Amino acid sequence: MSSPGGQGGGALSTRGAGGARRMKWALELSLSNTRSRGDRQGGQGDTMYPIGYSDKPVPDTSVQETDRNLVEKRCWDVALGPLKQIPMNLFIMYMSGNTISIFPIMMVCMMAWRPIQALMSLSATFKLLESSSQQWLQGLVYLVGNLLGSALAIYKCQSMGLLPTHSSDWLAFIEPPQRMEIMGGGMVL
Amino acid sequence: NMSALVCRVVAFFCLLRASAAVFEDQVGKFDWRQQFVGNVRFAAFDAHSQASKKLLVATEKNIFASVNSRTGELFWRHVDKTGQDGQIDAMLVHGQDAVLVVGNGRLLRSWETNIGGLNWEVVMDTGSFQTAQLIGLADIVKFVAVLKKSAISLHYLSNGHQKWVENLPDSDTVQYQTVYSSGNGDVFVLGLVPHSHIVVVAYNIEDGEIMKQVSVEAPWITSLDSSCAVVGSAVLLCVDPVSSSLYTLQLNAEGRAEFVHIPLQSLDLEAEAGFHPVVIATQPHPARVPLKEFFLQLGPERFILLQLKDGAIAPLRDFNPANLVAFATTGEKTVAAVMSPKNETVSYFSHACSINLFSADTGRRLLDTTVTYNLDPNGGKLNRLFVLAFLKKDDSVGYRALVQTEDFALTFLQQPGRVVWVREEALADVVTMEMVDLPLTGTQAELEGEFGKKADGLLAMVLKRLSSQLILLQAWIGHLWKLFYDARKPRSHVKNEVTIETLARDEFNLQKMMVMVTASGKLFGIDSKSGTILWKHYLQNVQPNAAFKLMVQRTTAHFPHPPQCTLLIKDKDTGLGSLHVFNPIFGKKSHIALPTLPRPIQQSLLLPIMDQDYTKVLMLIDDQYKVTAFPSTKNVLQQLQEMASSIFFYLVDSSQGTLSGFRLRKDLSTELMWEVVIPAEVQKITLVKGKRANEHVHSQGRVMGDRSVLYKYLNPNLLAVVTESTDTHPERSFIGVFLIDGVTGRIIHEAVQRKARGPVHLVHSENWVVYEYWNTKSRRNEFSVLEQYEGTELYNSSVFSSLDRPHPPQVLQQSYIFPSPINTLEATLTEKGITSRHLLVGLPSGAILSLPKMFLDPRRPEVVSEQSREENLIPYAPEMPIRTEWFINYNQTVSRVKGIYTAPSGLESTCLVVAYGLDIYQTRVFPSKQFDVLKDDYDYMLISSVLLGLFFATMISKRLAEVKLLNRAWR
Repeated sequence: MSSPGGQGGGALSTRGAGGARRMKWALELSLSNTRSRGDRQGGQGDTMYPIGYSDKPVPDTSVQETDRNLVEKRCWDVALGPLKQIPMNLFIMYMSGNTISIFPIMMVCMMAWRPIQALMSLSATFKLLESSSQQWLQGLVYLVGNLLGSALAIYKCQSMGLLPTHSSDWLAFIEPPQRMEIMGGGMVL
Repeated sequence: NMSALVCRVVAFFCLLRASAAVFEDQVGKFDWRQQFVGNVRFAAFDAHSQASKKLLVATEKNIFASVNSRTGELFWRHVDKTGQDGQIDAMLVHGQDAVLVVGNGRLLRSWETNIGGLNWEVVMDTGSFQTAQLIGLADIVKFVAVLKKSAISLHYLSNGHQKWVENLPDSDTVQYQTVYSSGNGDVFVLGLVPHSHIVVVAYNIEDGEIMKQVSVEAPWITSLDSSCAVVGSAVLLCVDPVSSSLYTLQLNAEGRAEFVHIPLQSLDLEAEAGFHPVVIATQPHPARVPLKEFFLQLGPERFILLQLKDGAIAPLRDFNPANLVAFATTGEKTVAAVMSPKNETVSYFSHACSINLFSADTGRRLLDTTVTYNLDPNGGKLNRLFVLAFLKKDDSVGYRALVQTEDFALTFLQQPGRVVWVREEALADVVTMEMVDLPLTGTQAELEGEFGKKADGLLAMVLKRLSSQLILLQAWIGHLWKLFYDARKPRSHVKNEVTIETLARDEFNLQKMMVMVTASGKLFGIDSKSGTILWKHYLQNVQPNAAFKLMVQRTTAHFPHPPQCTLLIKDKDTGLGSLHVFNPIFGKKSHIALPTLPRPIQQSLLLPIMDQDYTKVLMLIDDQYKVTAFPSTKNVLQQLQEMASSIFFYLVDSSQGTLSGFRLRKDLSTELMWEVVIPAEVQKITLVKGKRANEHVHSQGRVMGDRSVLYKYLNPNLLAVVTESTDTHPERSFIGVFLIDGVTGRIIHEAVQRKARGPVHLVHSENWVVYEYWNTKSRRNEFSVLEQYEGTELYNSSVFSSLDRPHPPQVLQQSYIFPSPINTLEATLTEKGITSRHLLVGLPSGAILSLPKMFLDPRRPEVVSEQSREENLIPYAPEMPIRTEWFINYNQTVSRVKGIYTAPSGLESTCLVVAYGLDIYQTRVFPSKQFDVLKDDYDYMLISSVLLGLFFATMISKRLAEVKLLNRAWR
């Protein structure tokens, strides 16, 4: 779906492409290279068009049924995004191992942070999905995908031993027991 | 093989982490050592050259040392064996040689006095030593005569070879005590039969042939040692206290010899009643005749200078009162130094003394020779006087004096009364010590007070805060001003001396007051940072074998109440105890009313109960198990009544083999709760150790490999009792280790180590006991560690009561070979107990080893597993290494280390350590490295310059970026 205006090369110049002389200034809306332009211009002669002029007819841009399908598709893409990442994450998890060093920690942080971020900006995503008819289903899928992602991150933390799930993790908070008896003495002096 | 490699790697990293040596530039930064020699028995000035500044001393601690007489520091020191084997019996100094008789006449040694090298040593025949004497011939000192009970031997001074040895006639009846020679070829040996006669034997110096042997009637004689002396040309002069008269005897008289009787009354003299008169004579040169003049001491404070001339005795001068006298010789001149109380009306207890020189041959006082000396009121009485005389340029006699006092202090004096140095030799025998926090400065106290007091209105508090801030500001400005003022002065003058006035706690409470109790009964307060003695206090009338127990009843934390220490002194003979209560910062005796202690004291117990003035209560238990509380105010008694049912104490009687536990009753009597009897004929209780009261345990358990917790059994009432078998045969000897709960008497654990022998050294802390013993089977020293665990569940996590502990703990044990015997063992201690623990081991070599507790862990696995690696357990290896980098005192060896004291500092990482024995060494240890302070060599310059550089770079690049953006926008 290319725009017809873009091809025409709404080129504007004070002089013609009269040769290799440098122009004082030039405005070019075309991204095509000079040679092609030169070729085409050569074909068209020295005619000058106003900016934005297209010599082809403008196509009908009214909303069609195929576009709606496309929006739907796009929205499903968004909703399924987190789920699609899970296999990739699993692979990364497997590769990074359970040792505690800078890279696995970074991976885990990233894995945990992305779903959280996504969950925090849930309303924005919902707005994005507004145009879809299956908005709620897609939202749910999106949510579930993110939750799965964070669950995966938590599982990774667990397998790395970063979660305080053992009694040893709370050992430092145990206060020394209070002493009930006072005792002393020793060898007879 | 892989696992072995892994083991090694793990062990290597553990070792890397545990290394704790100091760097070269840290030497002496926070540690110091002081060397001592003990109470001086013999002292001599090295007077062979005018410029010599050496003082030679031989001491009761079997040490021969040379002291720099200008500074009081040691030039060199030789530490011999303790006990009888190393005892120095005699010291003879001639020129550069010092001859010592050691070990009851077993060894004869000659030392070179300049550098302390051994010239020669000879082993002598057995026999109980009597005396030794330098013998000269023709004006040259050539020989040493050693007199034993039954023989006399003559040795060459140059090489120690024996010239001759002769048996003494009738040595089974005659007690030979004195040797005399005046350098004319004869050696006289004098002996006596008490209340009968004196025997004089003359030997030929060349071949030991008996030239003459006479026996002279003397029915009055009891001893030759102090009441007789050879005076003038071979005249034996004796004093008889009974008939109060003098006797003279010409030793080399031809024909029949007889004592000449001279009554003291004929000289207008009289001995004080009950006093045994003493003759003090001098022989300036061993090859010449003794001086004609001598002192006769007739009373504790009366000395008379007498002269023997042509058989007649004439008094030259009467010194009354006089404390001490001494002869000193320089060149051809001999002078008498007399120390007398300055204020003549107040005699014995006067604290100002003066020393004067008198010409020995006339008794005339020499001009300008007075030295005034102020006796320390907290010191002991005068004991001995040593004088070094020298000729000045104008041919007059100058001198320096060394005064020895009863409290083992040596004071070196110079004219006209300057104390050059003082050596406190009592510190060579520290018995017990404590470290006390220094008081806060005024400003700190002001701030503390603000938090301590009750709030009285918002405005008042604001005002108070403002005023204290103002005081702080004032102090800070004062400090700045001082800095500025000092900066202008040359550097050498700035050196701030530590005095009692400037004492204040530092930021991290690293500087403390060391209160040391010595065996002689002298107490010292020493600044832990510099080692300066800040106060001393001599307790008179303390028996030499008394038992001491030092307790801190009130710390410095209770401003404005002064800190208070209490020393319990128990007389071994009578069993009676006495208390000395003092302020540990200033050493002043407190005037608190002391309890009367009519009955012998068995033990004491410091309770955590406090009186209104924050004094902890001290309980004293007498031999009828009655309790005396000190202080015993109404408040205290009431508290005691309330708490009586939870106060327990135990007593261990080693001679009976009983351990007994008592509980306090409301009327301060006690009831017996339990008794454990260990038959004294089979094994003897040698050691009982509880845990230290000020110990904190941070972690209540240990994390296992599977991240579960093994909880520690932290029984504060647990006692470790060590017994040793009475049978010392290597096959049958054993030691027993019992863990007994001190409240219930329950035996928690019992282990008998067969084929093991003491002495056992033990440390009991947290949930572990570490002890060291001698394995008689393998003939090596071994360490053993016992650890107690509750298991993976805590029985009661909030309260510990010995009366409610149904489950016995799990006890784990492991042993290791240690390559050296040890002298003492102690564990590091920190404020909160977070830092890992190290054991401090005092080795006989004088090194102090800081051994990580990690190596003494009964959970060290023999086979490495994933879990043990997870736990950082070092694989078990039977040999315990000694690494030289673990010596916390690098080359500052502590001779005969007897005890190590550890105290926490304000920094969790730092533990203060004092090792004492013959020397005192103070340092700090960091068992887990200094995790809470920046390192000494932290590069402040680099960090701050990098920071500043980065800051400026950011500023500049920001500006540049802005300019560039603008430019781009314009393009």
